[in-house]
Amino acid sequence: MSARILVVDDDTALAEMIGIVLRTEGFEPHFCADGAQAFDAYRTARPDLVLLDLMLPGMDGIEVCGRIRADSGIPIIMLTAKSDTADVVKGLEPGADDYMVKPFNPKELVARIRTRLRPTSSNGSAERLQVGDLTLDVAAHEVRRGDKRINLTPLEFDLLLALASKPQQVFTREMLLEQVWGYHYKADTRLVNVHVQRLRAKVEDDPDNPRIVTTVRGVGYRAGASV
Amino acid sequence: MTHPGVDWGRWRNVPSRLVHVWRTSLRFRTVLITVLLTGVAILITGVVVSYSVSNDLYRSRLEQAFRDSARATTDAQKKLDAADATDPAAVQSLFQQVLGDVKNSTATNLIQSSRIPGQGATAGAPAGITTFGSHQAIISKDLQKKVQSSDHAIYAQAVALPATDGATDPGIVVGTELVLPSAGRYELYVGYRLHDSEQTLLYVQRTLLLAGLALVLLIGAVTWVVVRFVVVPIRLAADTSRRLAAGELEVRMPEKGEDVFTTLARSFNGMADALQRQITQLATLSQLQQRFVSDVSHELRTPLTTIRLAGDVIYDQRASFPPATGRTAELLHTQIERFDLLLSDLLEISRYDAGSVALELEPTNLVRLAEDAIESLQALADQNGSELRLVAPGGYFEVEMDPRRIRRVVRNLLGNAIEHGEGRPIIVSVDSNETAVALSVLDHGLGMTQQETRHVFDRFWRADPSRRRTIGGTGLGLAISLEDATLHGGELDVWSAPGGGSCFRLTLPREPGGEIGSSPLPLGPTDVPGASAGIQPQTGARP
Repeated sequence: MSARILVVDDDTALAEMIGIVLRTEGFEPHFCADGAQAFDAYRTARPDLVLLDLMLPGMDGIEVCGRIRADSGIPIIMLTAKSDTADVVKGLEPGADDYMVKPFNPKELVARIRTRLRPTSSNGSAERLQVGDLTLDVAAHEVRRGDKRINLTPLEFDLLLALASKPQQVFTREMLLEQVWGYHYKADTRLVNVHVQRLRAKVEDDPDNPRIVTTVRGVGYRAGASV
Repeated sequence: MTHPGVDWGRWRNVPSRLVHVWRTSLRFRTVLITVLLTGVAILITGVVVSYSVSNDLYRSRLEQAFRDSARATTDAQKKLDAADATDPAAVQSLFQQVLGDVKNSTATNLIQSSRIPGQGATAGAPAGITTFGSHQAIISKDLQKKVQSSDHAIYAQAVALPATDGATDPGIVVGTELVLPSAGRYELYVGYRLHDSEQTLLYVQRTLLLAGLALVLLIGAVTWVVVRFVVVPIRLAADTSRRLAAGELEVRMPEKGEDVFTTLARSFNGMADALQRQITQLATLSQLQQRFVSDVSHELRTPLTTIRLAGDVIYDQRASFPPATGRTAELLHTQIERFDLLLSDLLEISRYDAGSVALELEPTNLVRLAEDAIESLQALADQNGSELRLVAPGGYFEVEMDPRRIRRVVRNLLGNAIEHGEGRPIIVSVDSNETAVALSVLDHGLGMTQQETRHVFDRFWRADPSRRRTIGGTGLGLAISLEDATLHGGELDVWSAPGGGSCFRLTLPREPGGEIGSSPLPLGPTDVPGASAGIQPQTGARP
C-alpha cells in the first residue's frame, strides 16, 4: 500500500507538479490549497506525511503545523521560500520534523520523504534502553519515566534513540543529521538544535539544566550526563 | 633621593592641566578673562584714587600747616611787638615764651628758631633754639635761603622725618621769620609729622585694596553665574544632540520662556523633528525593502520550484527524446540551476543591503572547516587538475563564528582559485595569533593587474570577460564573502600579480567583536621573496 501524502500549498501549479513527482515515485498525493481547510483535509485524508507550505492563505502554515502536531506525531515537512534563520526556526518550533527551502530538488524531496516514512531502524539488539531515569521501549516506540509515558513524535524518538544507543559517544550535529534525518551532505545544523530543544522540553526535568541530552561544547550532543 | 611630600610630577602637570582647562572650559576662560580685565581696571582705578587721595591729604595737611604756622607766627609776632623787653635776659625769656606758645599752638614738638645770619652782631640777642635735635639737616638750604631772603612769607618743604623706630615718617617743615625787638630777624621752622595722614592714607589704600579684591571676586562670581546661564542651555543642546545622534530620536530640548535660548531650543527641536521624520521614513522604506525582498523571494521561488521540478522530470526522461529535445532538456536543467544560484545570491546580497542579516555564532575549528571545504571541492579540483594543499601551522581551536557563512566564504575562495589556478597547486593556509585567526587561499594562476584587483569585490565584476568560465559563478560570490567577513568583524584582503597568481586572505577576530591586531598570515606567496612588497594589498571595503 502506497503512503498517502498531504500537500498543503496554495500554488496549484507547484502542488500539481509535486503531485506528479510523488506519483512517479509511487506515493499517493492529496491536496489542499487553503490553510483554513488544511486541518480538515488532514482529518479526512489521514495522510502518512504532510508537506506544508509556510505561507498560506486562510491560516498560517505554522498554525496549521501546530494543530496537526497537537493531534498526532506524524511527520511534517515544511516548505519554505525563506532561508532566514528566524523564519526557519519559527517554522520548526511548532513541531515540523524537517524543512525544505524552495526551490528544492525533486530527488531531495523524495529522499527526505522516504527517510521520514521509513520505519525506525531498530538496528540495536536491545529492546529496552536506559538513559538516566528514562526507559526506551524500542519496539513499542515508547519512552517512560517510571510509570509515566512521555509523548514523543517519531522523529524525537529517533533522535533520542540514536543518542541512547551509544551512550558514551558524542554525536556531532552532522552525524545526527545523517542518522536521524537522512542527509548525506552538509546541511543546516540548526535543524538539530531546534529538535534537541524540543526533545529536552519533553524529557528533561529542568530543560535549562539538561541531564538526558547534554551539550558537548564545540562538538555536539551525547546521552546522559557528561563525565 | 626623593623628597616625600613633594610631588614634582604633579606640579609639572599644572601648566598643561591649566592649558587643558583653558581649551575645554568656556566658563573657566570667560571667568578668567573677566577677572583679569576687571582686576586690571580696578588696579588702575585704585592707584589713581590712592594717588589723588594722598595728594589731597598732603595738600590739606600742608594748608593746615601753613594756616597753623601763619597764625602762630602772627600771634608770636604780635606778642613780640607788644613786649617792651630790652635787656637780653628779658628778650631771651620772651623769645623762649613765644616759641613755647608757637609750639603749643601748632601742636608739634619740632621747632627751630635761630637768628638769620648777616644782620650784624647784637649783644644779648638770644641764641637759636632747636628741638629738631640731630635732624636739623633735613631743613634744606633752599628753604633756609627762601626764608632768610624774604619778609614774613611762609615757605614749606616736604621732608622725611626720622621716627623713633628708625623708619621715617613723612612730614613738612614750614619756615617763616620772626622779628625780635632789639635782636633782629629770626628764622622759625616748624616741623609737622604727617604720621596720622599716612595712617589715613594707608587705611584708605587698604580699604581700596579690599574693596577691589571683593569686587573682582564678586565680578568673577557674577560672570560664573551669567556664563552658567548661557552654558547650561548650550550644554543641554549638546547633550540632546549627542543623544539624538546615539539614536534616541525622542529627546527634545525644553522650550520655556521667550529668550534666545528658547529660539535655539525651538529650532533645535524642529531639526530633531525633521530628522526623526526622515529616519522613520527611511526605516519604513528599509522595512518596505525587506518586505519586498521577502515577497519577491516567495513570489519568485515558488514558480521556480515548479519549473525546477518540471525541468528535472523532463531531464530524467531525456534519453527517450530525440537528440535535439534531449539536449534542450539538458540546457534547461543547467540553466535552471544557474538561475537558482543567481536568485539565492541576489537574495542574500539584498538581505545584507537591508541590514537584516544576523550571525549564528558557534564554536568552530577553522582548520577542520577548511578540511571539509577542501574535501567537498576535491572533485572539482581533480577535474581541473589542481592540487589542493592545506598548510596549517596554527588555528586548531574553537573560535566563535557563523560556520555556514565562513564555509561559504572558504568554498567561494577555493572555487575561484580552482577556476583561475591554471591547474597549478593551490595552497590553503590557516594560522592564528593572540588576536586573530586567518585563512588564505593562494593560487599560482594568471593573477590580476592592480586595476583588476581593485574591482574584485564589486558585484557582477568579472576579471576578464574573455576568460572561459568553467564554474558558472554568479558574479556575486566575492561581494557576499566580503559582507560575510565584515559581519564577523573580520577582513578579506587580496593580493595579486599578473602571472604570479592571486592570494585571498580571510582574517577573523578570535573573540567576537574583538580587535584584529595584525593578520597571522602573510598576504601573498612566501616562497617568492619580496613578492608582496611592492604591491599594495587591496583591502575589500564597501564604497
